[in-house]
Amino acid sequence: MKPELLHGSRSRILAGVVLAITAIFVVRLFYLQVIQHDHYVSLAQSEQVKRERLPATRGEVYAMSGDQPVKLVLNETVYTVFVDPAIIIESGHASDVAKVMKDIAGGNVRPRFEDLLVAKDSRYQIIANRVTRAQAEKIKDKDLSGVGFQAVSQRVYPEGQLAAQVLGFVNAEGAGNYGLEGFMNSTLSGTDGRLETVTDVSDIPLTVGGRNIREPAVNGDNLVLTIDRNIQGKVEEVIKAHGQKLGADLVSAVAMDPKTGKILAMANTPSYNPAEYYKVTDGALFNNAVISKTFEPGSTIKTFTMSAAIDTNAARATDTFNNTDSIRIDDYTIGNATKGKTGNISFQTAMEWSLNTGFVTLGMRMGDGKSINATARATIYDYFYNRFHLAQKTGVELGGEVAGRIVPPEQSDGNAVRYSNMTFGQGMDTTLMQVAAGFSSLVNGGDYYKPTVLAGKMVNGVYEETKQAAPEQAGVITQSTSQQLRDMIYKARASSIGNRDKQGYEIGGKTGTAQIPSAGGYSDSETIASYVGYGGAETPEYVIMVSVYGKDKVFQGARDASPIFTELSNWMLDYLKIQPKG
Amino acid sequence: MSQTNNYYVSRRQQNWSRNQNTTRFQSAVKLGPVAHTVLVALMIIVLGLIYVTQATRTTGYDYEAQKIDSQIAEYNEQKSELEVENARLTALETIKNSAVAKEMTTATSTQYVQE
Repeated sequence: MKPELLHGSRSRILAGVVLAITAIFVVRLFYLQVIQHDHYVSLAQSEQVKRERLPATRGEVYAMSGDQPVKLVLNETVYTVFVDPAIIIESGHASDVAKVMKDIAGGNVRPRFEDLLVAKDSRYQIIANRVTRAQAEKIKDKDLSGVGFQAVSQRVYPEGQLAAQVLGFVNAEGAGNYGLEGFMNSTLSGTDGRLETVTDVSDIPLTVGGRNIREPAVNGDNLVLTIDRNIQGKVEEVIKAHGQKLGADLVSAVAMDPKTGKILAMANTPSYNPAEYYKVTDGALFNNAVISKTFEPGSTIKTFTMSAAIDTNAARATDTFNNTDSIRIDDYTIGNATKGKTGNISFQTAMEWSLNTGFVTLGMRMGDGKSINATARATIYDYFYNRFHLAQKTGVELGGEVAGRIVPPEQSDGNAVRYSNMTFGQGMDTTLMQVAAGFSSLVNGGDYYKPTVLAGKMVNGVYEETKQAAPEQAGVITQSTSQQLRDMIYKARASSIGNRDKQGYEIGGKTGTAQIPSAGGYSDSETIASYVGYGGAETPEYVIMVSVYGKDKVFQGARDASPIFTELSNWMLDYLKIQPKG
Repeated sequence: MSQTNNYYVSRRQQNWSRNQNTTRFQSAVKLGPVAHTVLVALMIIVLGLIYVTQATRTTGYDYEAQKIDSQIAEYNEQKSELEVENARLTALETIKNSAVAKEMTTATSTQYVQE
């Protein structure tokens, strides 16, 4: 007999209830697993999948030491020590933690950190910064509950303050500021990687699941600078000593290779320690005055005016003019600082005695010979701005560079008076870098090279030198002009302070003493002294430019800036192993 | 008791070639539906166990890899520290202040040999 549930029997009711419950389960499961599938998958992923940034290692910076790269900026992992005060209070070992931190972390603990250990307003208190790995290991060994560590990468400067204003610094957020760090930030910082993976409760990545993503970080480039640490060290030492002796507020210097545009040293005093940038109270110290401070360059520009005059066949060194120690331009009278060299004198003499009248005369001869007319102004502007690249950013790979200003002749204030002043370096704003780079083109045969601090890269520990760049502008003046100018400034130096140079070399240069513009004219109580010169044997091997400034102080190029050049130049001849002529 | 039967199978029905055994054994053991279900369940369990074992082994490798990664990170940190130390020891200031450098004197003249 076939068993059947009787209609209305309890068994049949039970079967119905079971079926109904099963149906509810099925519907509910369908809803959860099919309709809500994506929602729960994402919930599960947020719980199980860990997304992590794989930080790229910031590129290191090298300087040259002769022909070998040496490390100038490295990375070091340090630790930030934090506590959970709730755990510290509960375990009652605040005094133990305080003692351990004082004994091991010493100067890295925050002021009054003991109070932070028992703070009740937060469960995360940082009690020490920049703790070294060795210190962190010692603290970890003490097994203190409620104490945690966070690894942080920081820049290390084994050479201390060397080239600080060239390098810039990296702030707490890892961003480069000022100098090379600021300008090359993206190149140095690289690209962070990405890790998305299922992890266990201890956050250990597991390979289960098919959605793991691992994009490795691309580390930043390791850059090699053209800066030679020995020259840089010497330049910093010399300008510091002279600056202290002179009581100057700012002494700046740049040394470069005129045949390539490579910067060998660039320094200012005062400077700062990039490892402790956060202690600097005067933000101006971060600026590299060589590229970021404009000034009226003064008589060093006479070499540029002379070059333009020779190049346009307006005059030669041996040509003469009638010097009356003053010259009238419109309503203004321009005079010489050195008086008495009157009469028919050569432009060589004007260069040697830095006579303003001679260079205003050269300006006139670039026009109609009688005035600084439109032709003269256009020619001066063409040479100064278009050819020698004065008052333009040089493009050196450092942050904070400024352009300066040369007023074009078409503008109303680009008049004869301004252009007369410009022939001897007033009425225009340039940086030290611009003058040094332009001067390099005057003495190297007439090619303008973009100044650069980048020599190459270190790739897997091997130095890869960047291919020598071609001149940014070849033939800004002719080789003949360049040779004539070199002869002039060599003779000018030899006639005055040449006896201080090492014998057998060709050292030439020009002093500058620029007045500071003040309301309605120029201040007589404040000047910037400068010197720009070159040195070598058969060909110029280096160009050095120096400037000295002090608030309300009168410095002179010949007296205050030239000795700095001389000391550096004589040292460079030995360091670069330049063999004397003959 | 088992018994063996010979069946004739035409060549068209099978692909066996000449001289191959043309008889086959047929077990007398018959499996019912319950046995089949149990066997399938067992197979699923065995396969499941194999999967779990493999997954556990993979996870084990993950832990090992993590351990090695940590070691690499640790060695890298140590390497960086040594590089920093090396750079500090060969820094200009350190060299200048070294006992050897202090004993040195400034060259009074430089002679160049003509080539």
